[in-house]
Amino acid sequence: MRELCRAAVDAAVGAGASYADARAVVRRAQGVSTKNGRVENVSDTETEGIGVRVLVAGAWGFACDRRLDEAGARDAALRACAFARASGGRGDKALVPPAATSGTYRTQFEVDPFAVSLGDKVALCLRAEAALKHDDVKVTEAFVRAQRERKALFTSDGAEIEQELVECGAGIDALALSDGVFQIRSYPSAHGGSSQQGGWEYVEGLGLEREAPRVAEQAAALLRADVCPSSVTTVVIDAEQMELQVHESVGHPIELDRVYGTEAAYAGTSFLKPADLGSLRYGSERMNVTADSTTPGGLGTFGFDDEGVPARREPIVVEGVLRNFLTSRETAERIGVGAGGSMRADGWNRMPLVRMTNLHLEPGEGSFEDLLADVDDGIYLETNKSWSIDDKRLNFQFGTQIAWKIENGKLGRMLRDATYTGITPEFWGSLDAVAGPEAWKMQGLTNCGKGQPGQAAHVSHGASPARFRNVQVGVKA
Amino acid sequence: MTDVREVAAQAVRAADGDEADVLVLSERSGLARFASSEVHQPTLIENCVVTLRVIRDGKIGTASTNRIDEEGLRGLVRRAGEAADSAVAEEGFPGLAEPQALPDADGYDEGVAAIGPEEQARHARAAIDAGSSVELFGFFTSGVTEAAVASTTGLEAHQRMTDATTLVVASGERASGYATQTSWSADGIDAAAVGREASEKAARTRDAKTIDPAPYRAVLEPYALADLIGYFSFDGFSANGLLEGRSYLAGRLGEKIVDEKVSISDDALDPRGLPKRFDFEGVPKQRVPLIENGVAKGVVWDRTSAARAGEGHETTGHAPPHVYRQYGPLTFALSVAGGEVDSLDELCELVGDGIYVTRLHYLGVVDPREGVITGMTRDGTFRIRDGKVAEPLVNLRFTVSVPQLLEDVPGLGRETTLVNASDFYGERYPIGTLVPAIATARFNITGVGSEPGL
Repeated sequence: MRELCRAAVDAAVGAGASYADARAVVRRAQGVSTKNGRVENVSDTETEGIGVRVLVAGAWGFACDRRLDEAGARDAALRACAFARASGGRGDKALVPPAATSGTYRTQFEVDPFAVSLGDKVALCLRAEAALKHDDVKVTEAFVRAQRERKALFTSDGAEIEQELVECGAGIDALALSDGVFQIRSYPSAHGGSSQQGGWEYVEGLGLEREAPRVAEQAAALLRADVCPSSVTTVVIDAEQMELQVHESVGHPIELDRVYGTEAAYAGTSFLKPADLGSLRYGSERMNVTADSTTPGGLGTFGFDDEGVPARREPIVVEGVLRNFLTSRETAERIGVGAGGSMRADGWNRMPLVRMTNLHLEPGEGSFEDLLADVDDGIYLETNKSWSIDDKRLNFQFGTQIAWKIENGKLGRMLRDATYTGITPEFWGSLDAVAGPEAWKMQGLTNCGKGQPGQAAHVSHGASPARFRNVQVGVKA
Repeated sequence: MTDVREVAAQAVRAADGDEADVLVLSERSGLARFASSEVHQPTLIENCVVTLRVIRDGKIGTASTNRIDEEGLRGLVRRAGEAADSAVAEEGFPGLAEPQALPDADGYDEGVAAIGPEEQARHARAAIDAGSSVELFGFFTSGVTEAAVASTTGLEAHQRMTDATTLVVASGERASGYATQTSWSADGIDAAAVGREASEKAARTRDAKTIDPAPYRAVLEPYALADLIGYFSFDGFSANGLLEGRSYLAGRLGEKIVDEKVSISDDALDPRGLPKRFDFEGVPKQRVPLIENGVAKGVVWDRTSAARAGEGHETTGHAPPHVYRQYGPLTFALSVAGGEVDSLDELCELVGDGIYVTRLHYLGVVDPREGVITGMTRDGTFRIRDGKVAEPLVNLRFTVSVPQLLEDVPGLGRETTLVNASDFYGERYPIGTLVPAIATARFNITGVGSEPGL
């Protein structure tokens, strides 16, 4: 694959490109899902091809070809150059110098997810589902997935990279229904479970069967729970919902391409400005956020990004102050800070974009119980159910699958249909405690959308439960 | 492009099972994406994906590949067979579709098919050049998609489709506007008009004011209504949503649920939309009434959901791709019938005092059973006073029950607009929603956002 990439880059440079990179990607994925004891889907998919990105006379171009041969590589390169010429540029684009010349990277694992038979994957789903059985639970679902991506990158300024990334994940859902009330509980995470880079040991370690009875019980109990009342109150948010909060209200706004407006037509822009770097107060002093493409098990973990920039860990928000953006080589050059390292493409037929890798809320101190102890009257929120945030990533409204009243430092009665809303810097400014490292956990999601044509990124977030004061909860239609 | 019919036939011949069907989907497309009035992410895609479903002893397995040479297809057959062997026999599986006559539904235009990279870039520049005081962000895209379904039952279905979309966000300091246009025919492409519409809208949004959260009467442009109906449809108009109790229509079929002016269907045969002849199982498309004169009439079905429901239910031609089978049948061609109001101005007169919404952003389903959706207004929100569009407003958060929003409808626009419903994830498959503008007596604003613009 490396030689094909080299041939594509040579063809692009020969056709007038001042810069070119080529990525050859072979991706295989397996998915199993079961519902109400039936096998809904057993699939084994593969896709491969080469994508070539070029700069010609100050204009970018990208083209791809599913043929992993010299003809495909050369055709993609020439078509990318032609599209760049036709598009026209406003001026030359500058990239920060490349940091890597060559390298390889492979995900480490104990059990290859593809060595586990599809039959065993089906059996696991059916066992987990059986453990979800409950009179009030009308729909049970279980699903597992695995993916292996081999890719090579060659750039005209000297990077030669080969990587193999392996990931897998799983989840269960229980849908309860009675008298027109519909409720859902999920584990380990909503909207498709959770995934991690690594081997099948991650899926085994989730303990789907072990957790299923609790999930079903809670789904059923929600049918009889009171609706979360509307008020401005103290909230404690569990690690999983905090991960979504970090994703939506920190991860996307710090993507420097959004700051510069290049996502304005789809995902949106950012309330942050380049001049905010180093000075903007994002949140309280308890807020520390780190981008880390080296986190073991993270879905955003790699040796090198899709521009060949080595993985690294860097602070984004330190004691509430914005310290870094997520950058590409082009946006880093434009702002004059950073070295890129966040460019990722969804497979061979999409252009790399500035994406999150692994973005974590750093732990504070104390336990979950310590967070509750300092709340006389509040709401504890757990597991995302719905999410929406504006194009600048300021006004958000999230719903959770389950909530509990907090009374005198203890969890009280269960509540359903909980929502909370806020404005990003005000909300993070109201952060007054983050639980410690023992409560910190990481989950991986596979549905982060961005770009036109659309691209889905796989990213991970770690967080501990956190406490916020004066938050509006219970938004009603 | 690849001969998708031949690839489908090869894969079916090679399949190793009691029954098998295959879907081949090919794409040749270009998308000239621009930002700050410069094309910055132009993307050309050519791909051909073969998905093979094999049934062995009642067990179903699926595999796909984009390697369409002999070796690739051999691997596909092997992996599909292994997947089937790994499954559990599905009780009540209705089997594969038998061959049926397909409806005429032409959505292919040589003019669009002939658009190459140079012309795609030219359309993008036409949109950009039509802008005025603010910069433009968006894209022009066109593509040819070809679908073929074949099976061991002798079914052979084939269709070529074209689609072209221009989308523009005109945005600057404290100002933004939006417009988009979709067509399967070259006659429907006017990128400059889209650029102008977005720019003119943006020019009217400076000095946006705020308002208090509360329910308001409102006019929604077709762009906004298309998004709301699309999100509502996922649970609301799907057989799985109905059977599993997630749909608002569950227990309400035959009842009047919204204003009698409202009629909604799924109609892939309408030439004003993006026509389709068959679904991903090769079953003929049907027009499906979902809400008729305010009364809940039905949902869309595929063969699996119909078999599971029994009681005389039949597929309506809405099967999803096999690898998304767990989501059940999906609407692909929603259509809201136009009303009797000739213009947006007249809809504003019907509202009298309220708000005017151009488009929505980042919708989320809060409660599928009650059809509750939240999101933000964006790129052109205004106050309506004395029946006329008045001062611009900041972006607003809404949390609405779609049935409540449709419960009291002072009027619907006579003209319907085709709004692109694809964000072009995965393989290209053109889908759109036909909608008019609407006046509603209740659009619930629950929060206040930022000013429009960058």
